[in-house]
Amino acid sequence: MFKPSTLAMILAGGRVDELGVLTYYRPKSAVPFGGFARVIDFALSNLMHSGIELIAILSQYRSYSLINHIGTGAAWDMVGRYRGISILPPFKDYESPDWYRGSADAVYQNLDFVHYHNPSEILILSGDHIYQMDYREMIQYHIEKDADLTAAFLEVDARDAHRFGIAEIDNNGRLTGYEEKPEKPRSNLASLTILCFRPEVLYDVLGENQEDESYEFGRDIIPMMMKRHCRVFGFKFDGYWGYTRTIDEYWKTSMDLLGKDPRINMEEWGLRTNLEHRGICVCQPLHVGGRAVIENSMVYNGCHVDGTVRNSILFPGARVERGAEVIDSVLFFNTIVHNGARLNRTVSDVNTSFGAGSSIGGPKDDNDPGEGITMIGWNNQVPDNMKIGCGCTVYPKLTSDKWSAAFLPDRGVLK
Amino acid sequence: MITGRDALVLLLAGGVGSRLNILVGHRAKPAVPFAGIYRIIDFCLSNIMNSGLTRVGVLTQYKPLSLMRHIGGGEAWDFTGRTRGVKILPPRTGEKESDWYKGTADAIRQNIDFIEANPSEEIVILSGDHIYLMDFDSMIAYHRYKKADVTVGMMVVPKKEIHQFGAGIVDDDNRVIGWEEKPKEPKTNLASMGIYVFDTEYLLSALAHDRKEFDFGMHMLPRAIARDQVFAYPFYGYWRDVGTIQAYWEANMDVLREDSGISPQEWGIRPNISADGRPMDHAPARFLSGSMVQSSMISAGCVIEGTVVNSVLSPGVRVEKGAVIKDSVIFEDSVIEQGAVVDLAICDKRVWIGAQAVIGQGGDNSQPNKEFPTHLYTGITLIGKESHLPAEVTIGRNCIIVSKRQESDFAEHRTIGDGELF
Repeated sequence: MFKPSTLAMILAGGRVDELGVLTYYRPKSAVPFGGFARVIDFALSNLMHSGIELIAILSQYRSYSLINHIGTGAAWDMVGRYRGISILPPFKDYESPDWYRGSADAVYQNLDFVHYHNPSEILILSGDHIYQMDYREMIQYHIEKDADLTAAFLEVDARDAHRFGIAEIDNNGRLTGYEEKPEKPRSNLASLTILCFRPEVLYDVLGENQEDESYEFGRDIIPMMMKRHCRVFGFKFDGYWGYTRTIDEYWKTSMDLLGKDPRINMEEWGLRTNLEHRGICVCQPLHVGGRAVIENSMVYNGCHVDGTVRNSILFPGARVERGAEVIDSVLFFNTIVHNGARLNRTVSDVNTSFGAGSSIGGPKDDNDPGEGITMIGWNNQVPDNMKIGCGCTVYPKLTSDKWSAAFLPDRGVLK
Repeated sequence: MITGRDALVLLLAGGVGSRLNILVGHRAKPAVPFAGIYRIIDFCLSNIMNSGLTRVGVLTQYKPLSLMRHIGGGEAWDFTGRTRGVKILPPRTGEKESDWYKGTADAIRQNIDFIEANPSEEIVILSGDHIYLMDFDSMIAYHRYKKADVTVGMMVVPKKEIHQFGAGIVDDDNRVIGWEEKPKEPKTNLASMGIYVFDTEYLLSALAHDRKEFDFGMHMLPRAIARDQVFAYPFYGYWRDVGTIQAYWEANMDVLREDSGISPQEWGIRPNISADGRPMDHAPARFLSGSMVQSSMISAGCVIEGTVVNSVLSPGVRVEKGAVIKDSVIFEDSVIEQGAVVDLAICDKRVWIGAQAVIGQGGDNSQPNKEFPTHLYTGITLIGKESHLPAEVTIGRNCIIVSKRQESDFAEHRTIGDGELF
């Protein structure tokens, strides 16, 4: 009898401080990306195209937006006899009175769910990366190697290696060393948090991990398995890999959507999102006015453009009025840019409007080591003629009295 | 509070719509794509949904497959649930009635069993091929208030157009006291929109009266007006019968103008996102360097490197560098290669226009189409579904290129003159 054999568990609970105001009201996996989708859609679409039909999502931080987004799972064809997406929020009972204390603890607390489905492999993914991958190749490799754990790795720039879990891998593909965020990395193979486990071994190490003080797959579980001499193998991935952990990373990854042959080609990757979420399926096609200029940009249905849009990404409901200018920016759902407003290197969260003649962000400052992206939190009404500099942060939903100054200097914070 | 929650809707979607020419070569008129992501029938189905009505029968006859695939289970318009539903009602052969639908009234008559199986106070009868926004629940409330047997949706149209419609004469109370079907010399400019609310019992007895009465406008209404309570429900606003190429093209162009009174999104019109071919399975439209787009509607999945002016593009259309699209309607997944020009044309799905080809050559619209002079006479050229036009061919005005033409077909026809059917 046919039954799905792989259970995928997506770690979608976290919030990252560096992404700041964009994750005030949503987990990072639910951050909008790509002009119509959410970050988690990449993992979900990969699972759909890989034929993996049993999915659990571990969510903790502000999960409403995520729950709404997943809906029934029908958007990824996950509704059927053996197909389904289950959202597993934290809960309290006699044994576990706590929130999820880490990614490994989140899985541990839901082991009854895992046992019920009795999978042959457990695939653990993080829900906040932009990539395309057929997990079947990795699962096949995992089976061929008779591995206890197979983890995917990508070659990164040696200078960045200290930010990742770094592995040394022998000619047979077996891990000979693993260090989480090492000060002096011994290799440049970085873990992608795509982990395929032999279930019995996972149950065992998760149980043992409960005795410890830290409960993370990268920091605790992989090193523990190395110490136990488990069969841990590395699967090298050489496709595109996009991070969205910081605002600079988010912006740079977004810019990879643009150009004639974009590095992120959502159409070719077959990216699917839930079109019922925010009702974007009832948006009419983009309306382009008589004075519009749109260049090297990505715009979804439901937008209206009569101004200038260059090197930018517009989500449904974004409106750029005549005489307004949007350059190198990302406008989330229902952002309105009024006449004469100018946005440069700005990421604007949903339901925010920019008053006539306002000026937000600016070109990259060569003295700034970062990208100098200005972030505007959701539900703000930026007053007419307001000037906001580069690298600024504006907190969500500010009341009008917070906007008394007409100027926010570079790297300023308004809250 | 919804007055007509229990009303039963019967949607007439069987007409051939032959004046839409090759656009209805493979599909029924209500299934013709419109305004980028919609099909004509989406307007009607969305109006029904937004009126709070939940039980619908769709009477089909001509090339119903694409319509059936489009409606599917009706989820797109919220017609699934314990008491909700949308049923497709094709003609059936039975013991006595073994014929195609002979007219509007005949089609309803052949589905009396469906009406009886779905008890209702009122029956709403609509045609599935009009572009408009209307609240049928208000119309049902009006129907009850007037204690009418029949209420007919009516609007004022220009006198020169009234010959296409049923025309009514009303008294001060909006009671219909005179009726002319498609009058040559009209006495009124009040036209029937083909939208009726019938008292269910009244409808059943009227249908039983004379089985040779096949048509509402021709037979049943004139008799009802003489004897029973027939009221006009006045409609003001945007309403178009897009049954001709000219009207269809104009309505698409209306969507581009903000002051035209038509706005599918504001009207709450829903396309079917999971219909056959999944037209909504697309990433956002991409505009590359050098693109120039003005006064147009661009759907998701389009990739534009050329120029698009005053045109409507369905999902997945590719406009390559140097190509120019002007005053045109382009259906899904068509490709306009480098340097090609498409001027005043309607291209059906998956049309391929080769590099440097010209559609709509020259500025002379005076030669109507030679086969269909009443269909194409203002310069619009039609390119049929999945036709591949090779590089550098030239097509004139008012032309028809039928569907599935291959590049080899053009080997000895590099130039198609004005008004040709090819």
